[in-house]
Amino acid sequence: MTAAALSLAPVEQEVTSTDELVAPDVPWVTIVWNDPVNLMTYVTWVFETYFGYARSKAEKLMMDVHVKGRAVVSNGPRESMERDAEALQSYGLWATFEKDS
Amino acid sequence: MARAFLRERGRYVGLLESTERIVLQGLMQQTRLLLSPEIEPTGDAFDDLVASMGLSLSAQDPRDQDHGDEHRGAGGHVSQPDSSTFADRDPALDRLLPTAHRGDDQIAAEFRRLTEEGLRQRKSGNLDVALRCVEEAVDDRVVLDETQAPAFLMALTDVRLLLGERMGMRTEEDAEALQAALEDIDDEDPLGYAMAWYDFLTWLQETLTQALMGTDLRDVVTAYDDDEGDAGDDGHEPHDGPPHGSV
Repeated sequence: MTAAALSLAPVEQEVTSTDELVAPDVPWVTIVWNDPVNLMTYVTWVFETYFGYARSKAEKLMMDVHVKGRAVVSNGPRESMERDAEALQSYGLWATFEKDS
Repeated sequence: MARAFLRERGRYVGLLESTERIVLQGLMQQTRLLLSPEIEPTGDAFDDLVASMGLSLSAQDPRDQDHGDEHRGAGGHVSQPDSSTFADRDPALDRLLPTAHRGDDQIAAEFRRLTEEGLRQRKSGNLDVALRCVEEAVDDRVVLDETQAPAFLMALTDVRLLLGERMGMRTEEDAEALQAALEDIDDEDPLGYAMAWYDFLTWLQETLTQALMGTDLRDVVTAYDDDEGDAGDDGHEPHDGPPHGSV
């Protein structure tokens, strides 16, 4: 999207994947899934440390993962969500990204 | 007996006996071996940065060079992996480096191609830091500074993920079944032995996390209690400590 917006040339013919053109307002999300190994305190610490979330928000997201099995922990453009998923995986969390539906 | 990690003058100090250190080092080394990046850190910051992007500027296969380590596994190749190479890999890697997109294998494979080498390097780097800290313990004191402590915490996570995977603990149901099975097994059973160390590492990670989050455990019980693990994750707590359990 960024590249297309900056280009003066017509972009329609060049774009093979129309996902982002069709729904420019639909952001992507990063999801953390429940797993039996990661500790509740550790997951809270990761959300605080990586995202800079306040303790209360980090704990709420952690509880969502624990109780509901998954939680959306961030949203935004695809590139950002890929970055978040990669970072959370480096912490050992089970993180994925997908287009919000 | 081990003592919890506590904050002492800007550092995080835990007490681990010789046997505990040896077992911990062994588990960290095994995890390190599994996660070894295709391209080991060279010491050259720019080369390492490029390597962490999953690319190699060098035409020569780095495996042909002598890096003086025994970590690198046989097989594999340095060029960018494609999804077909993952079919026969160790299932534990799917837990340590899980698929990042459920539902679209192509997106998942592309993400893996771009990130796996970097993730392996970061995780291996954390384990190297942690191994060094354990190695350098004096009078059983494992001392971590502000940058080593998070690396140690992440290293413990990866060790527990590997150990959990090896014990067949992939879902909450698996974990519960495992706890139930443990009640009936013999003391000599290797599974019981593995679970005892897993519980110990869980406790150790919990104390370091609490210390990093500013909770002072001094007023709580700080010595490791072997029986605590038998109570199960969500069972009773033998002390007044903070909530404890997996997500």
